[in-house]
Amino acid sequence: MPADFEPITLTGSAEEDVSLLDIIDHVLNAGVVIHGSLVISVAGVDLVYVGLNVVLTSVETALRSLKAEGRSEARSSK
Amino acid sequence: MSRIIVYCGFLHDEKLELPGRGVGGSAVNVLAQERLRLLWSEVAWPFEPAGLQQKAVEFHQVVQHVFQRAAVVPFRLLSIFENVAALEKFAAENIAAFTADLERLRNYVQMESVVYVIQQRAPEQEKSGKGYLERKAEVFRLSVDHAASIRAAVQPMSDHIQVREVKSGTRIFALVRRGEEARFREVVEAVPLPESVSRRVSGPWPAAEFLSSAVKKPHGAEQP
Repeated sequence: MPADFEPITLTGSAEEDVSLLDIIDHVLNAGVVIHGSLVISVAGVDLVYVGLNVVLTSVETALRSLKAEGRSEARSSK
Repeated sequence: MSRIIVYCGFLHDEKLELPGRGVGGSAVNVLAQERLRLLWSEVAWPFEPAGLQQKAVEFHQVVQHVFQRAAVVPFRLLSIFENVAALEKFAAENIAAFTADLERLRNYVQMESVVYVIQQRAPEQEKSGKGYLERKAEVFRLSVDHAASIRAAVQPMSDHIQVREVKSGTRIFALVRRGEEARFREVVEAVPLPESVSRRVSGPWPAAEFLSSAVKKPHGAEQP
């Protein structure tokens, strides 16, 4: 997956190839998943996801939202 | 409302210093059962999407703190437990599988390479879409072949490789001995890169792709 976010350095090492997108991808998509307990709140409304496929879809949606939010902030800061 | 967020599991090591702060500046606690240790924090729940990006980085930093020194079984950021008692029950039910995986992965890390097609626009002079589609298919074939070449190149240094097709290309996951990360990068970067195809290498990551199914989808995980 190509990185759409600017790379960020966490350790100060130039050799690190860690991007924010990589981090978000790994912390949301890799590892132990506890089904049925995945909740994210949008505009104060809790959305409960109970299936892995739905969770992955929600992650894509969240990433799109984050990117849109970043672009909006970038525009407003100009 | 608060909930218990779990970062990762690892095997007890008295030399290991624990991270000071977790997601949202929360205290990081340890649940100990036999040799298994689970790092957890009590956090305000649910997360607001606006703060998800920051929390993802904080979560990652806690896992990385341990992973730099030891093998870990990472949990996903949005996986939570109702309370510490639920986490203790979960740990008791899954201790054998977690311990076995941590022993098996003790000296390994996960390296990744993603191969993807550089998006191209149809030339304006193109009279029909046929030529464009043919070139697109050719570039896609080149990317598939390149992924296969990378897999073949890293095979001698990894007995465990997984390849997954994703929306934008191909991801290659390799289980590599700790300390061999730079060599993995060198091996991948030595594979000639076709035009119109790109690739990226990342890692080391915890070996999440190589967890046993009993750990990926652990006992008791269906309970909210």
